[in-house]
Amino acid sequence: MPSADELKDYIQKKFSEHLGLSQEEIFGADLTLAALITRSERMANSVDLMEAFARTSNALRREHGLRVRLPALALDTRISKVLEVFLQEVQRQREERAA
Amino acid sequence: MSAVPQRREVLRVPPTRKAEIVADLYRAIREEGRTLVELEWEQQRLHESRRWSAVERVDAVELEGVSASDRLVVWNAGRAELTTKPGADRLARLADQECRRWQGRNDAVASIIQACGTWSRYWNEEEAHHETSFNRLALLLGLERISDETFIEFRKIFPDDDMLRTLTLLSISEIVAAVNYAHCARITQEPGLKALFKQVGADEIQHMNYFIAFAKGLVDSGEYRAKEAFAVAHLFLREGGEVQGSRREHVEQRETHVNWWDQLEYREGMNAPDAAEKKETLIFHALKRITGITVSSAEELEDTWMELVG
Ligand SMILES: [Fe+2]
Ligand SMILES: [Fe+2]
Repeated sequence: MPSADELKDYIQKKFSEHLGLSQEEIFGADLTLAALITRSERMANSVDLMEAFARTSNALRREHGLRVRLPALALDTRISKVLEVFLQEVQRQREERAA
Repeated sequence: MSAVPQRREVLRVPPTRKAEIVADLYRAIREEGRTLVELEWEQQRLHESRRWSAVERVDAVELEGVSASDRLVVWNAGRAELTTKPGADRLARLADQECRRWQGRNDAVASIIQACGTWSRYWNEEEAHHETSFNRLALLLGLERISDETFIEFRKIFPDDDMLRTLTLLSISEIVAAVNYAHCARITQEPGLKALFKQVGADEIQHMNYFIAFAKGLVDSGEYRAKEAFAVAHLFLREGGEVQGSRREHVEQRETHVNWWDQLEYREGMNAPDAAEKKETLIFHALKRITGITVSSAEELEDTWMELVG
């Protein structure tokens, strides 16, 4: 099983892929969800954003067998918070499996 | 004078059927060769057969018999209905633009979308009855005035999106409205107001059916993906989703437009419509009709959406 750090890198990489922005752009300034939508040429609204997160979650499930369900997030939420939600959920499932 | 092409004989039409919504548009256009002129006539017939008078309906309400709770409901309804005009104006514009994008590439899709844009005129006109009836009643009842500023604010136009997403969102918006009005019709004790709520609720159901038919046509054509319909339904039914309207913990503050379901003001003593389960069931039913895919819980809806996203 990959380490927590490896999973974090993996999720960040997937965010960047699906949001259509570099990791530096996304995490460097810890952008809000609203700012991500504005920056990315690939996204016009919060449905597009939801889809980008769903793709990240799908990749996690396919490649690591982990299932993350995202809650409804306000558009002023920062991306670090979304990453945290993903990581907490991933961590919880790792512990469940180890037990 | 230019010659008008003449048919040798007049067209023999079968005895008049009841007007109806063409539910299987893609097939009707592709296989039965139905034209926009024919589809438009069907829309016109249905619209005419369902006409009612806002003036008469308002006159029929016995103002003294309207309870305090009903008054708040009327006030909210009038405000909410203000947002339908920008919705219909936008649909007319978006549909024409989208129709031209398909011309020559997939003419059946171009026709479905043009039929939708054409119908938006009836939708707009019918919503005018809702808006004016409730706002007039609110005025007669002496309720808090809607300022011109609010009026203009509520006329802001929703930003454009994918056509299938838009039609699904509009189907759901009509579902939420229809369920709310049905609830109001049941609760109110004043007969005139009850009749008005019932009438408006029936209109909203009819609008829902139209939106579903247009959305289904797009999916049937193979040019639009079911995931877009599921994404919008998920947005409404996920935890903390839009279906809870202004009751949600967090309602987005928007500069761009007003979502009517976010603006309902629940005040003390108001017997507020909710019926979340009923709304959910109708949304699943709409998804089934649009995409052919069955789901029966919010979790299943999310799972299916995520699968479709890939
Ligand atoms: Fe309405
Ligand atoms: Fe409506």
